Amino acid sequence: MSTVPGQAIFRDVPEPKRVGLGQKVWSSRFDYLYVAPALLVMLIVIGYPIYYTIELSFFNTPASLALSAKQFNGLDNYVTILTSPIFWKVTWQTVLWTVLSTFFAFMIGLGAALALHREFVGRGFLRALLLIPWVVSAVAASYVWKWLYHSDFGAISAMLSGVGLIDKPINFIDNTNTSLYALIVVNVWKEFSFAMIMLMAGLQTVPDTLLRAAQVDGASPWQRFWHVTFPHLSGVSMVTLLLLAVQNFNSFIIPWIMTGGGPAGSSDIWITHIYQLAFGRQRWGVASAYAVILFIVMMVLGYFYVRALTKGDEARAGA
Amino acid sequence: MTMELSAGAAKRRGAGGWRWAGRIFLVLLLGFTVMPMIWMFITSLKTGFAAMQYPPQWWPAEPTLENYWRLIDPSGTVGRDFIQYFWNSIWVSTLTTILAVVVAVPAAYAFSRFRFPGRNFLFFAVLLRNMFPAVVFLVPLFILMKALGLVNTHGSLILTYLTFGLPLAIWLLKGFYDNIPVQLEQAARIDGATRFQAFLLIVMPLSTPGIIATSIYSFIGAWNEYIYAYTFLTRHDQMTLPVGIQRFFSENATDWPGLMAATFMMSIPVVVLFLVLQRYFVRALTEGAVKH
Amino acid sequence: MAQVILKDVVKNYGDVYAVNHVSLTVEDGEFVALVGPSGCGKTTTLNLVAGLIPMSGGTISIGDRDVSDLDPKDRDIAMVFQNYALYPQKSVYKNLAFPLQMRKLPKDEIDKRVQAAAKTLDIVHLLERKPRELSGGQQQRVALGRALVREPRAFLMDEPLSNLDAKLRVQMRSEIKRFHQDLNATIIYVTHDQLEAVTMADKMAVMNGGFLQQYDSPANVFANPVNMFVASFVGSPAMSLIPLTASSKDGRVVLQSPEGWELPLSDANGRKALSAKSSKVVLGGRHSTIKVHKAQVPGSVPGKVYTVEPTGDITFAQVFVSGAVVNVSVAPSFQLRPDEPVFIEFDQDRLHLFDGETEMALKLE
Ligand SMILES: Nc1ncnc2c1ncn2[C@@H]1O[C@H](COP(=O)(O)OP(=O)(O)OP(=O)(O)O)[C@@H](O)[C@H]1O
Ligand SMILES: [Mg+2]
Repeated sequence: MSTVPGQAIFRDVPEPKRVGLGQKVWSSRFDYLYVAPALLVMLIVIGYPIYYTIELSFFNTPASLALSAKQFNGLDNYVTILTSPIFWKVTWQTVLWTVLSTFFAFMIGLGAALALHREFVGRGFLRALLLIPWVVSAVAASYVWKWLYHSDFGAISAMLSGVGLIDKPINFIDNTNTSLYALIVVNVWKEFSFAMIMLMAGLQTVPDTLLRAAQVDGASPWQRFWHVTFPHLSGVSMVTLLLLAVQNFNSFIIPWIMTGGGPAGSSDIWITHIYQLAFGRQRWGVASAYAVILFIVMMVLGYFYVRALTKGDEARAGA
Repeated sequence: MTMELSAGAAKRRGAGGWRWAGRIFLVLLLGFTVMPMIWMFITSLKTGFAAMQYPPQWWPAEPTLENYWRLIDPSGTVGRDFIQYFWNSIWVSTLTTILAVVVAVPAAYAFSRFRFPGRNFLFFAVLLRNMFPAVVFLVPLFILMKALGLVNTHGSLILTYLTFGLPLAIWLLKGFYDNIPVQLEQAARIDGATRFQAFLLIVMPLSTPGIIATSIYSFIGAWNEYIYAYTFLTRHDQMTLPVGIQRFFSENATDWPGLMAATFMMSIPVVVLFLVLQRYFVRALTEGAVKH
Repeated sequence: MAQVILKDVVKNYGDVYAVNHVSLTVEDGEFVALVGPSGCGKTTTLNLVAGLIPMSGGTISIGDRDVSDLDPKDRDIAMVFQNYALYPQKSVYKNLAFPLQMRKLPKDEIDKRVQAAAKTLDIVHLLERKPRELSGGQQQRVALGRALVREPRAFLMDEPLSNLDAKLRVQMRSEIKRFHQDLNATIIYVTHDQLEAVTMADKMAVMNGGFLQQYDSPANVFANPVNMFVASFVGSPAMSLIPLTASSKDGRVVLQSPEGWELPLSDANGRKALSAKSSKVVLGGRHSTIKVHKAQVPGSVPGKVYTVEPTGDITFAQVFVSGAVVNVSVAPSFQLRPDEPVFIEFDQDRLHLFDGETEMALKLE
């Protein structure tokens, strides 16, 4: 079909050929070379362990980890877990830990982001200081706070009695009633600046003209925040809350170093519990079954996480 | 008229009230944030005796750098071990960072630019890795490392650190590549460059900030890692700082000033790195999540 | 320079056909303007010619070579991008030198050519600057310069002037035109701006929805639009289109409006109208071929003035005729008021008739 000047080519054109999947894969075969090394590493160090964890969760493996001696025991490990009262106690503590840590880290981060949004002298420096807890290792944080909470020489007790709130030192972490909450404070200290930095970036996307228009319309600062700023932050907030929740759910270092899950399991959460089962008591099968349950929970959260992260990704055109 | 005026004044007072609330909040938050770090430093200047007092000495009566000298004095056992841990940490973190960046750069580029079948699935798989706690991988990796004879080697750490370093690096770098206009590469290819030359000569120089940011992330992540190191390493001379200092100070009665000096020293490299390169660091983190 | 031939070129993204069976021959030294509404496939067509994206079907040849499977670097074409795509980390000099370095020219030859191009485009004083330190017009020249240093077989330009202000645009327009004449260059030029297309191009290719609609000289596209889309897209103000019904009456063909009036057609126009697939016929007329009367004359139809826009030497008005808006123009002395009833007379030799079903122009065989 060739074009004669002045002649329209309009409708009546043959339907173009469809391209099969195999052909598409073949024509982009070089593209795969770029991702191959990364996928290979991830396959070895991620794919294989996931498979292996699932397998181990159906076996009874001797403490020595002599794999040749492992025995298939069906769903026994799962039954053991779900019928154990400790499971429910630990699960409840994990929920408390995750929800409270996430909530307070987010709210403090939001407050800090809003307070830092306005330009003022020393803002950059202040932001940097506030970010330090997030950069230092959780190991360092755990030791410092353990020392601050110390039952005999703790600075926090000393400060509280200095202002007359208490008369003798408090035992924060060797106390079944307070240990979990004491650890949550540490966790919030460590994490709020992550929420802060994400929300600060989110705030920059709020158009100034909208805020000014609202101001002209007579909206109070609170109304401006609620009707203009907050809706603009919803996307970032989603991602931030999810990331915080995932990270808190997966916490290990702070409880492990500060209390080891104690006293009497009062600050035990899933990960510390699994670690104790596996490497403390060599109950590999039960620990693996725990990990599989955890894995399933994370997959559900992960679905939302990936959706939030890749939103709008398809809109970008390829080279 | 007067009504309007007073309403305006009230509104202004309202705005001022919020601003003051913000300032007070920031001051309190700053206290909460830096107090532990300052206490860490003050304690590290005390003698063991001075630390064990109640109420505590808010500033040591006789400040001493003895705890730091002990850590960096190679002739003592404490110093020898600490220096060893320090080098182990540097070595493991550096190697992890280099490997993660080298492997992540082409992958991130491909995820940003190409639309090959399975791309979405693979990218989701990569992102999903961030969801899984180390514990899910710990037992099987421990078995794998045992089988490979890598227990008590840095190889075991580097390999596993890549599992959490890579997805993050790929995600961060992809955010940077997404922000480099495709037209630049197209122009280069028309100007006579191959696809690879366009990447190397045009895209790479532009993504340097991204590579710096990603490197800092990998480095800090590896430097602070605890759980794998704690599980895979039992030999003294292989340990990295987070596990090393623990072992070494809690064996008998805890030497708090010594421990604080060690955690302070351990925090210095990452905090300095962070403060110097803060710009890149913050940008990279927010790029992916915010710029849609 | 060389001829560029597209044959049955197709590009689809899943079910979206960005370019649909486009065939086009650009002769050696010809300046072709590619126009069409946003999203019609102009950029995609250009990218296919450049080899930046793979074709889903068809062939492209440049000169005597089939380049369908060649890399962009082997096609020997130059391209000016809409957003300039200057390498931000390189100085202007290095931007201009890059294509020559890629072709491994000796250093002194590169320098000679860069200096020459810079002189032509009057950017010698900018050579050491970075692109972000340049104004839009200066960046534009650098982008042009990067295409110029190379003596390629064809130039592709994607809305190169769209980011410039009106004055600069006029100036750059004549510079590109001169450059086309001096080099006798083959140029495919994408633009949104019809005035650019009409003033610069030898031929105009009108696209819509991935299809090539018409490919002809600007004058012919203007005078003989092949279908209703081209008729309403080309020209400013646009050609007015009135949907009517054709029927024979007393041996003459008339167009009937739903409101009841009838417009008798000349013999030739009558035969055209009867060749339509059904009785649905669309009447088209440009403002310059329409007369406005205050009182009914033979062959005129009733309407009502909607808006009046005096521009000084000519007054434009919009008139409602049978529910459609008709653009007309009158002398400034001719007073028109909104809502005033008027009568419209079409020039039988210059009116256009379209098939109401196929939207194609009706022609005498
Ligand atoms: N990578 C892609 N994936 C899916 N669809 C695409 C892609 N690139 C282009 N398209 C679609 O192809 C069509 C043509 O796009 P193209 O960019 O060629 O339009 P254009 O004529 O240059 O428009 P404009 O005048 O706005 O620049 C559009 O509908 C667009 O949405
Ligand atoms: Mg375009």
